[in-house]
Amino acid sequence: MSGYLDGMAVILALNVILAYAVFLPVATGQLNLGGAAFQAVGAYAAAYISTQYGAPLPVILAVSASVSGLIAFVLALSILRTKGVYLVLATFAFAQFVSGVIINVDALGGALGMTVPEHVGGGPIIVIAGVVLVGVMLLMQTRFGLAMRATHDDDTVAELMGIGVRRTRVAAFTLGGVLAGIAGGLYAFYFNFVEVQTFDSLSSIYLLLFVLLGGTQTVWGPLIGAAFFTIVPELFRYVVANMGGASAGQLDTSWRFIILGIITVVMMVARPEGVVTRTGLGRLLGNRRAAPREA
Amino acid sequence: MILVLQQVINGVMLGAVYVTVALAFNLTIGILNFLNFTIPPLFMLTAMVAWASAQYGLPFGLSSPLNWAAALGDGIAVAIAASLVVERMTFRYMKARYGDATEHAIPLVSSLGFLLIIENLVRMAYGTEPHRFTTPFTNMNLRFGGLIVSIPQLFSLVLALAIVFGLSRLLKYTRIGRALRSIAENPDASLLMGVDVGRIVPVVFVLSGLLCGVAGAIFAINYGQVYAGMGNEVGNKAIAGMVLGGLGSIWGAIVGGVIVGVVETLSIHLFGGDTVQAIVWGLLLVALIVRPQGIFGHHAIGKGKL
Amino acid sequence: MDAAVVLALRNVTKAFSGLKVVTDVSFDVREGQRTALIGPNGAGKTTVFNLISGAYSADRGAILLQGTDIAAKRPGERTVMGLARSFQNIRLMPHLSVVENVMVGQHARTRGMMDLLTPLWLKRNRAWRDEAESQLRAFGLGTYPNEVTANLPYGIRKKIEVVRALMSHPKVLLLDEPAAGLNTRETGDLKDFLMGVAEHGVTLLIVEHDMSLVRSLCEHTIVLNFGLKIYDGPTASVQEDPAVLEAYLGPRHNAA
Repeated sequence: MSGYLDGMAVILALNVILAYAVFLPVATGQLNLGGAAFQAVGAYAAAYISTQYGAPLPVILAVSASVSGLIAFVLALSILRTKGVYLVLATFAFAQFVSGVIINVDALGGALGMTVPEHVGGGPIIVIAGVVLVGVMLLMQTRFGLAMRATHDDDTVAELMGIGVRRTRVAAFTLGGVLAGIAGGLYAFYFNFVEVQTFDSLSSIYLLLFVLLGGTQTVWGPLIGAAFFTIVPELFRYVVANMGGASAGQLDTSWRFIILGIITVVMMVARPEGVVTRTGLGRLLGNRRAAPREA
Repeated sequence: MILVLQQVINGVMLGAVYVTVALAFNLTIGILNFLNFTIPPLFMLTAMVAWASAQYGLPFGLSSPLNWAAALGDGIAVAIAASLVVERMTFRYMKARYGDATEHAIPLVSSLGFLLIIENLVRMAYGTEPHRFTTPFTNMNLRFGGLIVSIPQLFSLVLALAIVFGLSRLLKYTRIGRALRSIAENPDASLLMGVDVGRIVPVVFVLSGLLCGVAGAIFAINYGQVYAGMGNEVGNKAIAGMVLGGLGSIWGAIVGGVIVGVVETLSIHLFGGDTVQAIVWGLLLVALIVRPQGIFGHHAIGKGKL
Repeated sequence: MDAAVVLALRNVTKAFSGLKVVTDVSFDVREGQRTALIGPNGAGKTTVFNLISGAYSADRGAILLQGTDIAAKRPGERTVMGLARSFQNIRLMPHLSVVENVMVGQHARTRGMMDLLTPLWLKRNRAWRDEAESQLRAFGLGTYPNEVTANLPYGIRKKIEVVRALMSHPKVLLLDEPAAGLNTRETGDLKDFLMGVAEHGVTLLIVEHDMSLVRSLCEHTIVLNFGLKIYDGPTASVQEDPAVLEAYLGPRHNAA
């Protein structure tokens, strides 16, 4: 049981890192439908380096994060001339392209996947997730963080105020790529096996949705989203398994997605800004004076 | 040479599927600026429902197994109905709030939710393995010299041409078509000019559901096989065709869809089946970087906030 | 002696798909002066504003800010050089708090990575927030610095937008129809507020339809009609000018 809980803590930690990887671009107004693909890049880079060359784990991790960060940078730079729907399409295409390429590269094991010799335990992963969490929180409290949020709300005015909107977006997207790469590397080291199906477009969608549902106005949203959508499906799996009903893995994966889908649709109708909003958080903390309302 | 020509023919036939799905995408994105990710799942849903009704009949024992045509009709009807449900939940309740960068993505995000629901309901109900869908002319072929054209291929091509032709007539010459085009040009102005946007929006979804349905039917007839993953593997490639041709343009969807179909069959022929995904999506990435407005598109569409 | 010219347009021309919206417009805005830019609907006032702030680029002509031609500069660069503007329909960042919105206005004055990448609560950055809060207080807006702006009433948001524009320490502040959507009492309130802004040494250029505000606030007025400048002089005598009367009331009135 304790092993089970450990495993869940690690998955939660990885999901938290991934959530912030997706959050950073979204916080500047860019939907990234390729989160899992950047994770795949990091995971395969880590797997490849550790099988081919071998190096201290932190070095491998740094290299894999840089590789996916670099790819994110190039993609962002070339695609951000356009915005809106084209960016969504580009990240989507990128995700499909990455899995399409991995399947064809024998050095990466093709469709069979790759075994990773090095192992990292749950402890370091949880610590790194904590560092990422704190780091993103600090970042959002800087003027750069303010610029990101201003860009999200109104890029024309942000530009007028002297904020380099394009630079801000590219930086946020790149940083997101770095975080996804770290999550990917850690994934490879923890599970000691990577296969391309893990990082398919459904995973990218899943990732984006739980960040959006958590809420992207504050740094807490992604954390809540990641926690909810890691823990609830596990509980659900536990319940289903104990009812003796389902046995096949497919069944509970499907349920997980269906529940997320239903929550998404309902949330977009009822509360499209996500669970955690600024106004809501303020009210909860009760640290505001009542302001006059619009009549 | 004859082999390559054969692949081109097969590619055009496959392209007919992409063209039809791409048109469905184009309708919602061109008229409503809505990138509707439920379109590939609806394409898949049509084919799977058609298979299920041919296999088991209508649910709750309403009928015995249907013949192939009725089964396809059932599939298309379900796709249209599902498309209307999507309209209800994505557009009906959407209120403009602040006009910031991600607000306009609310329908898109909703449609991702529907994608998860439809895909996974089908997987749970019918499994992920392929199912056979047969028609009386499944194995009939015509030969022209060394070239083979199957009857299902011809039938599908006629179906695709008919729907494309019908759609372009509809948009051009009917009152509804004019209303649709005026909304695409300028939603606010058309509201002022008395176009009832609230009643026109469902029409868009019925049409795009119909197109998805026809595409699903074409696929089922043509390949004799349907499976839960076909939305993701086949339907999504229509996105590549749409972008290649140009967002919001009918001719763009046609040309782009055919290009993707031919590129796909040729790359299978030349490099093997595993390379298709990388080639088609790589092509799209390059297109997005080099010429995001596509072959026929004008850049304005979808460029607004999202 | 006249005050120095701080903003000048020289033969500025702009056409949209062949249609000339602004034709050969030249005028001077003098330091410390409150200048109104008025004209009938479609006269090209907002276009002139967008040309000055950089939202559009002029087809021809020069825009001189303190003697430097800024016509080719990006909007953000113009802000850094001392230009600021408000919008006809308020454009505050809806999800940022009042004080954060005002702090966005400071962005043009930041220098280097340390300003960007250090948490704003650090001692070295305290001054930014203090400045924003004291500025809000100075204009009577200090009550709710942490409220999200989307929740605030229209008139207050309007003022916050002006305070935000002031945070780049502009030489010239462009206000696009500041009184639109305000009632008489609020307009009077706004006039006092803008007088206060002008007293801080900011030159005001205002597009406005409300003539009572123009008369009580601006000493100088420029009138545009069909993209051409038809009047440039003291506000006091604008209503006696035949060309202006004709533009507003039609030729018949002039003949009578």
